[in-house]
Amino acid sequence: MAEYRTIRFRLNGRPVELAVQPHENLVEALRRGFQMYSVRESCGQGLCGCCTVYVNGKAVSGCLYLAALVDGCDVQTAEGLGTLQQLSPVQEAFIECEGFQCGFCTPGMIMMATQLLQENPNPTDEEIKHYMSGNLCRCAAYPEIIAAVHRAAEKLRASKETDAKADQAATVAG
Amino acid sequence: MNAFDLIQPDTLEEALSLLNTDDPLVRPLAGGTALMLMMKSKLYAPERLVSLQRLKPSLDKVKVDEAGRLHLGPLATLRELELSPVVAQFSPVIPKALRTLSNVRVRNVATLGGHLAHGDPHMDLPPILLALDAQVRVSSEAGHRDIPLSEFLTGYYSTALAPGELITEVVVPPLPQGTRGTYVKFTALSADDWPMAGVAAFVRLEDGQISDARVAVSAATERPVRLHEVESFLRGQRPTDEVLHHAGELAGTQIHPLADIRGSSGYKREIVKVCVRRSLQQIAQTDHNGDGGVTQ
Ligand SMILES: Cc1cc2nc3c(=O)[nH]c(=O)nc-3n(C[C@H](O)[C@H](O)[C@H](O)COP(=O)(O)OP(=O)(O)OC[C@H]3O[C@@H](n4cnc5c(N)ncnc54)[C@H](O)[C@@H]3O)c2cc1C
Ligand code: FES
Ligand code: FES
Repeated sequence: MAEYRTIRFRLNGRPVELAVQPHENLVEALRRGFQMYSVRESCGQGLCGCCTVYVNGKAVSGCLYLAALVDGCDVQTAEGLGTLQQLSPVQEAFIECEGFQCGFCTPGMIMMATQLLQENPNPTDEEIKHYMSGNLCRCAAYPEIIAAVHRAAEKLRASKETDAKADQAATVAG
Repeated sequence: MNAFDLIQPDTLEEALSLLNTDDPLVRPLAGGTALMLMMKSKLYAPERLVSLQRLKPSLDKVKVDEAGRLHLGPLATLRELELSPVVAQFSPVIPKALRTLSNVRVRNVATLGGHLAHGDPHMDLPPILLALDAQVRVSSEAGHRDIPLSEFLTGYYSTALAPGELITEVVVPPLPQGTRGTYVKFTALSADDWPMAGVAAFVRLEDGQISDARVAVSAATERPVRLHEVESFLRGQRPTDEVLHHAGELAGTQIHPLADIRGSSGYKREIVKVCVRRSLQQIAQTDHNGDGGVTQ
């Protein structure tokens, strides 16, 4: 039996620690240690995206990632995107566009969409399909998911413009 | 997954010393995407994995030297190669091929070293790097050796790596001016599936005549192979429809496709013929500034 080791990392911005076994994967560790139930193992093979987690800001499949390797890293899950009082713009957009049916794939979809919009604030349908081709929806809510990503992009652009205007106003005032 | 021990050395020297054993149950772990699948399906149950993660800062460089050679660190992720302006400038075929490889999450984690060391004939970069005459540097406690990729890939999931050896660099010689390339990938199950056949071709045209041709096939065969007969047939020819058609037919006689869930041997041979012809047609049709591309 391989020994437990204590790993320390940041989870959704908060320093945490957990004793893990070397062969435990990140999905198992996040669910067992921190009740991060947005992270789900479905295909277990890197194909479906239900286990999407950011490690040091990059989306990975938690099902193919050894938990021990996040020692010292910054880890983020869908739980860290917004709060119940203040959802993230991408979360809001998924609700407004009904970008789901059963919701099983939704955290992964939202995580990937959030990352896509960080890299590409104004994606085309093709770009959305390409970036999210590794996220599968068993309910086939794809048209609504694509609409939600467009809606989220609009929201993020609008909030950027508001921020820019506020900055400008502050500069003029100051 | 079976229990195993995981060690995370901080230096290459430490890693090489930990790996200096004939025990097949001790292995390096890079991105882990291939190993995790093997361990999950119980194809491989290691006793000890040596993670290369902490060596990344010293082994993930991507650069072109004064002689125009492209140097790629084995711990560069496939996504880093895809987004690297240095790689795109060297050959846009590489990033274009990477964009069709699995999904962003896999590319964020999978490394070049793991991609080559796995020896899986279905991988997308080996045929391209083979056509580009890439060399693999492998290092062990005893020193290092440089192996042409054509000799590194020895067979179905097998490579020239000896126990205790790590890939520490991949070097690609400069492409002669005016060389255009392409990668044609044929997927049988879904668009982002592993290729059933992959063809990488690089051709140099001078005054409308082919002065250099390199063609590599993968996925359909037990390992990626160069089609030397096709290459010598093409040299000196004009890329007419007839010539390119013949090149495809000739390719079909040079390979021994393996049957699997993606197709029978005979079917794959027909597909390879078409892919070889299409890859050459694409190159012949792109204008001088074009780089061919990647088609699925
Ligand atoms: C869902 C999914 C879909 C995929 N689809 C495709 C596809 O369509 N096309 C494609 O080309 N690939 C595909 N891949 C494969 C992917 O390219 C490989 O899994 C990946 O490149 C392996 O890299 P890694 O760093 O994760 O390797 P690891 O899993 O860490 O290692 C793989 C092997 O290489 C050895 N190794 C690792 N680094 C070194 C080194 N520096 N020196 C010596 N040995 C080393 C390991 O011991 C192991 O034997 C897919 C993978 C997944 C999970
Ligand atoms: S469960 Fe990890 S990608 Fe499907
Ligand atoms: S909403 Fe049910 S799997 Fe996507």
